[in-house]
Amino acid sequence: MLTTQFLNSLAYFEVLFCLAALCAITLKKQWPEYWSLGAFLATRFLSDVILIPLLYLKHERVNGHSTASAVSAYIAYFYVYWISFALESVLALIVVYSVFRLAMAPLKGLQQLGMLVFRWAASISVVVSLGSAFAPDMTRTKYLIAAISQLQRTQSILTLCLLVFVCFAIRPMGLNYSSRIFGVSLGLGVMATNDLVQSAWLTLNPGTHTARNLVNGVVICVVLATWTAYFALPEPKRRLIVLPTTSPFLRWNQISQVLGDNPGFVAVGGMPPELLAPAELEVMQRASRKMVVPFPRSMSA
Amino acid sequence: MKIIVRSLVIALAVTGAIATSYANASSSKSTAMAPASLSKTSAMPIPNCPPGDPNACE
Repeated sequence: MLTTQFLNSLAYFEVLFCLAALCAITLKKQWPEYWSLGAFLATRFLSDVILIPLLYLKHERVNGHSTASAVSAYIAYFYVYWISFALESVLALIVVYSVFRLAMAPLKGLQQLGMLVFRWAASISVVVSLGSAFAPDMTRTKYLIAAISQLQRTQSILTLCLLVFVCFAIRPMGLNYSSRIFGVSLGLGVMATNDLVQSAWLTLNPGTHTARNLVNGVVICVVLATWTAYFALPEPKRRLIVLPTTSPFLRWNQISQVLGDNPGFVAVGGMPPELLAPAELEVMQRASRKMVVPFPRSMSA
Repeated sequence: MKIIVRSLVIALAVTGAIATSYANASSSKSTAMAPASLSKTSAMPIPNCPPGDPNACE
């Protein structure tokens, strides 16, 4: 009973922290940079606001049996939960992408290259997740759950890769541990690790719903509180990045900046004179006249 | 500070990697497919039962 009450309180806290983080992003005018995180939090807030009343309705019973409204509430709860889960997985992928873009902003060339690689990796991962969720004799509902679970696992692995990258490249990118980029990455990383641990736990102990919900509730509240704090507190300015001229970062950045540019073209031969502009023809004629000047007398003598 | 944060991040990444390999190994060994192999990080309970039969999992 006490556990159920605590779980209910955690659900309310989750909604409150979501709202607090959204308010912090709005008040600090961070929507242009962190719109994907804002959309993620808004989706979570809306789904929680719908799920909480449905949760109470689905436990309604008469003589130990679920009432018709309880069954309808469960159906609504089922679809709202899994559809919001799918939306949040896709939005979390976009958050990871935008955090990477923000982190790499000073090094435009590497940013473009990294984003290209990220887009390909994410697209292939999504296709593989949707494909690997398919199994023979599978109902539509089971496929929906399996595909969303695979998508979430893929997103968790990509998030952890981003967190490791941001943590180890934080100083060369002019950031520090008080930066919002690091705060957002850390929160996403904690969520991703929790998701993956839950995944292993679920396959080993499929019956321990209450304990799992407790851990999930505590983790999400901690993550949302961390994000609220990072957005509410003032962010230190990004340091000026100074790289030595021999730095491989600088060299790779320069190489990446010119990758994908439209190439120039050189006429090799067989070019008719009509293609040239009159000024170009004049220059070529003058050059030709200079070339046929006779040798000086002293030389010919 | 730097060492603490880096240790925390490495711990998170290693835990995630171990959990992924463990979950993959367990799911490949099991013959019956679990209804959901992952849950949302949320205080809301996971609806694992089919929508037509809410009492199937209780």
